[in-house]
Amino acid sequence: MNPLTRMTKVDIIVAGKDAPAVWELIGAVGATGYTSVAGASGIGHHGQHSGSLLFNELDALTIVITVLPPDRAPALIDAARELLEDRSGVMFVADTFVSRPEYFQ
Amino acid sequence: MSNETSSAGMVRAKVTRAADHVVPTWPIASFIAVNPMRSMEKGQFGEDRHATAPSAGIAYTRNRTAYQRDFASGRITSDDLRAAISERVPELRSHYRDTPFDEAFYLDLLVADVLESNDARPVARPRDTADLDLVNTITSGWLAAFLTTDETVWQMPHRELGFYGSWRTLARHDPRIPRRARRRSTDLPSTCEMAVQVALQRLAIGRADTEAVLREEIDALPGWASHVKWRSENTGDIDLAQYLAVRLSLRVLLLENGNSPHPDHRLEKPQRTAPAGSRDSRDRARRALQRIGETDEHLVIAARVLESHPVTDHSVTWQVAYERHYRMNVLASLDRIRTDSAIQTASDRTDRVDVHVVTCIDPRSEGLRRHLEDFASAPSGLGRVETFGFAGFFAVPMRFTALDARGSVDSLPALLRARHSTTEIAVSNDEAVRRRRGLLTLEALDHSAHAGKTFGVSPFALAEATGLFFGVASFLRTVAPSTFERMRGWIGALIAPPTAADVTVQLAYSLPERILIAEASLRMMGMAITAPLVVLTGHGSRTMNNLYQSALDCGACGGHSGAPNARAAAAIFNDPLVRQSLSTRGLVVSSDTVFVAAEHNTVTDELLLLDEHLLPATHRGMWDRFARAASGASDRLVRERAVELPGASSRHRPSRVRRRSRDWAEVYPELGLAGNAALIIGPRSLTRGVDLSRRAFLHSYESALDPDGSALETILTAPLVVAQWINHQYYFSALNPETLGAGTKTIHNAVGTLGVFSGYGGDLRRGLPWQSVGFGRELLHEPMRLAVIAQAPLELLGAIISRNEVLRNLFDNEWMTLTARDDAMGAWQRYTRYGWQDFSRDIHPDQPKGH
Repeated sequence: MNPLTRMTKVDIIVAGKDAPAVWELIGAVGATGYTSVAGASGIGHHGQHSGSLLFNELDALTIVITVLPPDRAPALIDAARELLEDRSGVMFVADTFVSRPEYFQ
Repeated sequence: MSNETSSAGMVRAKVTRAADHVVPTWPIASFIAVNPMRSMEKGQFGEDRHATAPSAGIAYTRNRTAYQRDFASGRITSDDLRAAISERVPELRSHYRDTPFDEAFYLDLLVADVLESNDARPVARPRDTADLDLVNTITSGWLAAFLTTDETVWQMPHRELGFYGSWRTLARHDPRIPRRARRRSTDLPSTCEMAVQVALQRLAIGRADTEAVLREEIDALPGWASHVKWRSENTGDIDLAQYLAVRLSLRVLLLENGNSPHPDHRLEKPQRTAPAGSRDSRDRARRALQRIGETDEHLVIAARVLESHPVTDHSVTWQVAYERHYRMNVLASLDRIRTDSAIQTASDRTDRVDVHVVTCIDPRSEGLRRHLEDFASAPSGLGRVETFGFAGFFAVPMRFTALDARGSVDSLPALLRARHSTTEIAVSNDEAVRRRRGLLTLEALDHSAHAGKTFGVSPFALAEATGLFFGVASFLRTVAPSTFERMRGWIGALIAPPTAADVTVQLAYSLPERILIAEASLRMMGMAITAPLVVLTGHGSRTMNNLYQSALDCGACGGHSGAPNARAAAAIFNDPLVRQSLSTRGLVVSSDTVFVAAEHNTVTDELLLLDEHLLPATHRGMWDRFARAASGASDRLVRERAVELPGASSRHRPSRVRRRSRDWAEVYPELGLAGNAALIIGPRSLTRGVDLSRRAFLHSYESALDPDGSALETILTAPLVVAQWINHQYYFSALNPETLGAGTKTIHNAVGTLGVFSGYGGDLRRGLPWQSVGFGRELLHEPMRLAVIAQAPLELLGAIISRNEVLRNLFDNEWMTLTARDDAMGAWQRYTRYGWQDFSRDIHPDQPKGH
C-alpha cells in the first residue's frame, strides 16, 4: 500500500448565514478548497437546530470541512476561534490522511 | 506557516466580527426587503435602543406625540394601554398583593403615568458628519467606479487585482489626495490584510480597540458597507477587508501628510436619557395620582409601582398598545365569520369548484382574492372560485434566463441560493429568429442613441439630427403616457413580434425534484384540487422611470416578477408523470384539470394569461369566463386602492389610476406593501369574507393534509421569515426615513444598477424611499411589527418554534407576535416565552373564558 500523507482536517459548523465568512477565512489562510454541507441538524449549546428547512438555507446549520497541511492549520484554527468567539458554532480539528497531497498544498 | 498567512486569517476574522451588525443590502435592480436590525434579533426588541450599540440612535418607535394623537382619536384605547402594561410589567400581579390596592388600581396608575410622562426618543445620528470626511468622499467615488460594471462607459482599470489592489495602483492619480500623500501610496502593502494590519499599527490602534475602530470605519458609510457585504457573499469581487484596507490606508496617507482626516477614533456616544431617580418617580406618581383623582396619601407606594415601568420603556408600551388594537380588530373580524363552513376541512369537501386561483401571500393579493371571490359568488353565472395563498415563487427556486435576455435573474427567495437554471425554448424557431433580428435592430438603435449622447461632440450632432423627434416623443410621453406606450408597444411588436416559448423546467429539474415541488406545494397550501382550471398567479409591478420598481415586485422571487416561476410550476403540475406520482401519495389531481400561469400587475390590478399557447381548447371557455370575472374584480380593486393612493380618488375611472403604470413622472405608481401588519396562516375559510384591507400576508394551510408538520415548519421558517423581513423593512424605513430609509425619491441619482445616491454623492442609500412609506410629512405606513395569526395545532407550533433558533429569536424576543388556535372551534391563544395564554377574553371581554 502506498503511504498516505498526514494532513489536518478542520470541521466548522455554523449558521448558514455565517458560512461565507468561514469560506473567506479558509481562502485567506491558503487552503486550497473546502466542502460545505447545508441543512445540518442537532442540539448544542444554543439549543435545538432543525435541519428540515426546505426553503431556508440561511438559518439552517452548515458544516464546512477543509483539509490543509499541518503547518497551515494553526492560522485557520486561530482565525476560526476568533470568529466563533461571539456566535454559535463549533470547530473540530483532527489529524487525517490523504492519498493525493498535492491537492491540498 | 508564514506570519503573513497567519495574520491574514486573523484580520479576516476581526473584520467579520466588526461587521456582524451589517445587514447585506441587495442591489436596487433586485431589491430585497430585509430587517435592517436583523443582527439585533438575538436580543429583545428595542432593548438596546439607548445603548452604545450599532443600533444606537435608531428609532424603534414613533414619538410620544404621535401615540397621544392616536389615543385621542381612539386608535389606541385605555384597554389597549392596560393590556400592554400588563404584558410588559408581569410582576404587577405578584409584587403588590400586600398593598392596600388591587391590580386594577395600579394599572390605572400606570396608564395615567404613560399618558402624563414625557419620554425622550433617541436622537438619530446626523448623516452630514459622514459627508464632511474626505475619506468617505474618496472611498465612495472609488467604490462606485469599481462596482458599477454594467452600464459604465469605461471600467475601472486593474479590476482583476480586486478593489484594494486596483485602488492601490491608481491612487497616485487621484487629485483629491494631496500630492505628497499620493506619492506614498505606491509604498502601501500589496495585500488588503497586510494593509489593514499596517494601517492599524501606524494609527496606533491598540489590540483592544481594533474591533471598535474597524466597526466605526464600517459605520462611516453604512450603505456602501451593507452592499459590499452582499457583494462579497454573492459576487465575490470585493469584500469588507478590501474596503477597510482602502479606508484605513487613506487615513494613514492623509494623517502622515498632515491633513486632518476624520477627527479621531472616539466612538460616538448617543445621547442618553438621564435615569429616572426616586425624585422623578415621586413627581411622576404625583401627576399620575392626580390624573386618576387620588390624593398624595399613598405617594410612596405609587412611586414604587411606577419604578417597575420606567419612562424609557413607555415608547415600546405605546407601540405594544398600538399593535394590540389592530390585532384585536383582525381577530374579532375573523371570529365574526366563524361559521359551520369554517370547520369544514379540506378532506371533507366534496363539491367541485370551477376555478382554483393560487396567488402569492403578498398583501396586495388579498384584495384580488377578495374581489375575485365576491364576483364569483354574485349571480353572474361565473361559477365557484376558490383562492389560495402561497409563496410567490411557487416552490420553484430558479435562475431564469428569458429567451432574448442578456443576463439571468435569480427568481427565488433571498433565503436560498440558485441551484437550478431555466431558460425558454421558442415554440416556433422561425418566429424566434425573426424576433431576435428585430431585437438586435432595436438594441442597435438604442446603443447608437446612447453612444451619441455620451461621447465627445456627438451630442450636438445628435440633438440637431433627432432633437425634434425626441422632443415630440418626450412631450407625448408626458401629456399622453398611455398613447405613447401603446404606440411604442405597437412599433416594438412590429419590429420584433413576440413569440411563444416554454420554460425549460424538465431540463432543469429531475422527475423526483419535480414531484417534491408539487407535493410540497400542495401540502403547504392544504390544497385538494377539485377544479378543472387552476390559475397560478405570480405578480409583478409595471412602472416607468422607477428606480425602485423591483421593491414593488415579488419578494419571494428575489425582487422580480413571479411570472416565470408560475409558468414553471404550471408545467410541473401539468406533467402526467408528476400527477401519477402524486396520486400514489394520496394527492389526486383530476385528469381533466389544467394548470395555467398568469401574472397580476399590481399597478393596474390586471390579470394576464401567460403561455396562452398551452391552454387547451377544452378549457378556453372556462378561462374566458374567469377572465371576465377577473376584469370586474380588477376594476373594483383599483377603485378601492384609489382611496389611499396620493392624488387619486375612488371617483376616478380605473383607467385613470392604471395610467400611473405608464407615467414617467409618477412617484406613487402604487403603494406596494405599505400598511402590511399581519401574516395569517390557515385555510381560506378562516379569512374568507373579511376585508383585511390588503394589509395581511395570507398563507393557506390545512393541518389535516400535513400529518408530520413538515409543511407548517417550512411555512414558519421560510414564508414567515420573508414576510418578517418585508415588515421590518417598512417598519424601520418609516421610523428612520433618513438613516434606514432612502429618503425622498425626487433627488435620487442612480449608481448603475447598485443603488442610489441622494444628490451627487455620499453614501449609498439603504431601505425604502419615503414615497413607499409616507406622503408629505405624514406616514402612509402604520409601523407595526408583524402579527402572525395561525390556525394550526398549538403543540406543533410550539415544537417547531423551540427547534428553530430563528423562530425562537423572533417570537421570544418580541420582534413579532403569534396568536393561534388549534382549529376553527378553538380559543385564540397568545404565544409567550412561558407558554400559551388564553387570549379569547381580550378579544371578546363579555364571553366566558375559554371560548
